[in-house]
This record gives sequence, C-alpha cells and structure tokens, in this order.
Amino acid sequence: MPLEGKPFNAPTAPPEHPASIEPALPDDSDLVARCQRGDTAAFDELVTRYRGKVYAMIYNMVHNEQDAWDLAQDGFLKAWKSIARFRGQSAFYTWLYRIMMNVTIDSLRRKQVGGETEFDDTIALSHIDPNSATTPRAVALPQDKIAGDEIRARIDAAVSRLTPEHRAVILMREIDGLEYQEIADALDCSIGTVMSRLFYARKKMQTMLRDVYENL
Amino acid sequence: MKTFEEKFTAWVDGRLSGAQLAAFERELEAHPEALADKEAALDLGNLLRSNLPPAPLPNPDFFNHQVLLRIHATEAPAPSPARRPIFWTLPRMVFSGIFLLLLSTVFYFLAVPATRREVRQNQQYVTNILNARSDDPGITATSFHSKAENVDVLWLDGPAYIPPGHKLK
Repeated sequence: MPLEGKPFNAPTAPPEHPASIEPALPDDSDLVARCQRGDTAAFDELVTRYRGKVYAMIYNMVHNEQDAWDLAQDGFLKAWKSIARFRGQSAFYTWLYRIMMNVTIDSLRRKQVGGETEFDDTIALSHIDPNSATTPRAVALPQDKIAGDEIRARIDAAVSRLTPEHRAVILMREIDGLEYQEIADALDCSIGTVMSRLFYARKKMQTMLRDVYENL
Repeated sequence: MKTFEEKFTAWVDGRLSGAQLAAFERELEAHPEALADKEAALDLGNLLRSNLPPAPLPNPDFFNHQVLLRIHATEAPAPSPARRPIFWTLPRMVFSGIFLLLLSTVFYFLAVPATRREVRQNQQYVTNILNARSDDPGITATSFHSKAENVDVLWLDGPAYIPPGHKLK
C-alpha cells in the first residue's frame, strides 16, 4: 500500500480496512531501528514511503527534473549515512526533510556562487517560436492548459528570484502546509526567523505575481 | 513575537487570537494598506497551491534501485584477511638496541676481570712492534709508543755502532 503524499504529521497511515487480513505496515521508528542495524531493505521501504514528497518538494525548489532527482538521491544517501545518529527526538520525516532542505539549499547556493543564471522570464514562453522543433507541448493542448503553463512559468520565475532560504519557507508553508515549528526544525532556525522570512518572501512574490493572481 | 513582520505573518495565517489579535489590530490602524496586503498574501497562497501540483517522481522503482546501488557502493569494504603483523617495528628496534648495549656493558664488566682492566689502564706502553730483521742474531730491534712521554721509541740491542748512512729520519 503506497504511502506517498501522506500528511506531514502522520508517518504511518492507519489501515483503511481494519478488518482486512493485510499485515500492518511497520511504522517509521521500526524501520529506522532496522536501518540502524544495517538493514538496507528497511531503508528501501522508507525511501518508497517518502520519495514522492521529497522529490516534489525539491522539484519546486529547483525547477529541474534531473537536478531534483539527483538532489533527492544525494539526500537519501546522506540520510542513510547519518541514520545511526538519529535518536528519534523528532519524527523521521522531519529529520529527513531537514537533510533534504540542507542538500537543496547548499546546491542552490553553489549555483549562485558559481554564477549560473537564474530563470529569466523575459525568455519564457512568449519568446519560444510555436513552430520550432522544441515547441512546448502546451502549444498543442487546449487554451486553458496554455494559460496554466504560463502561470506555472511565471511562478517558477518568481520562486527562482528568491533566496534559497525564502524559497524554502514559502514552499514549505504554502505548498506542504507545514507549521512554523516544523519549518524551523527543518531549517534549524527559530520560529521568529521563519515568520520573518515568510513575511519578506510573500512580499517579493506578491510584487512579482500581482498581475497574475489579480487577473485570475 | 516581537517584530511587526512576525506578527503580520501570524495575522495572515490566522495564528493570532484574543489579546494578541486585538493589540495587533490596534497597531494596524497606522497601516491602512495592511488589510489589502493580507488579502494579497492569501491570494498568493491560493495561486501557489493551485498551480504547483506535486511533481510526480519519474521511474520511482529505478530511483530506489539507484539509491541502494549508491549505498552499497559507499559501504565500507569487508576487512581483508588479517596480515601477519610486522614484528620489527621501529620502537621495538630502538628498545632492542638499547637493551643489547646495556647487556654488552654488563657483560664487559662481569667477564673481564677488574685486575686486567687496571693493567691495561696502567700499562706504560700501548704498542709493541717487534720488527727484528737482522743477519746478526745478536741484534734485535723493538718499537713501542710511550704513553707517558707521548713518543715513539725504537730500541736497538746489539749493534756496536750505527753507520752514518743509516741515520733515522
């Protein structure tokens, strides 16, 4: 039974049919304990549980499939190497989320230092020749899909212009629905810092996307 | 919550209540644009949630496979069969050298009688070189080094005289 997409605070979903003879899935702490004894099959189960949420979260941060895949891989590898030090003081997913955020934010910072250009919406969909060989798939789809893709491109462009820390807080809050404390745990900072970063991230996004949400 | 930013964020997210909410709303009277800002923040949240659906992970099974491959690749290799340790390590060699030196010193003092050591120390002549080569058996020559006077001595017995052409040089 796949568990991807579960709520943040519910690492193990209760069985939908209690009377079912299907054996209960081990909870995260059991799997973690097995991992700490070197059981890679248990870690495989944890990867299966959280890979979807982790990948989606990273994808929203980096806007690139390959980068998101690689960073999620790096994050899980790092989690395996550090799992012996996990003491269960927070939920496993909170701990994993922190690792993934560190990996992603470090990568974004390296790209900024390395001079890689951020997404530039001046060369977005409007600059792509509809008849070119690389025509976006959206062109062949209905009008509403085109609008959706354009909105998505605008959002991606706006997110790309935020600092890694501001990206993280606004995506964790608005997309993943995390509480301030959970965000603070994941980013290893205070709740006050989270709230302050959220304030400025929202302000910047509002400035960049005002015309989009006002015209919807 | 100390700063305006923190309180504003809590207000937007509905985390203020009671006295805190009332106090902040009084504070907002000086910020007439605050209500519009709150509406804009809520609209932004709705926009993000409705347009950023979770991106599906491509090839999820391969993802797991690759993670496990990388884990196995980074695992510490099995320890190789134990090699025989080298006996003559540097500290052992130094220790053995010192031990042998002490042993030989002790052996010297035990094995060589003290009287003989004293004789050696008190001997007047260190070197005796006998180089007697003469047709006349009545003539002998002895050479030695005198420690006291620090000179080499050639002692001749037998010859009545030394020819003038045989002066020592």
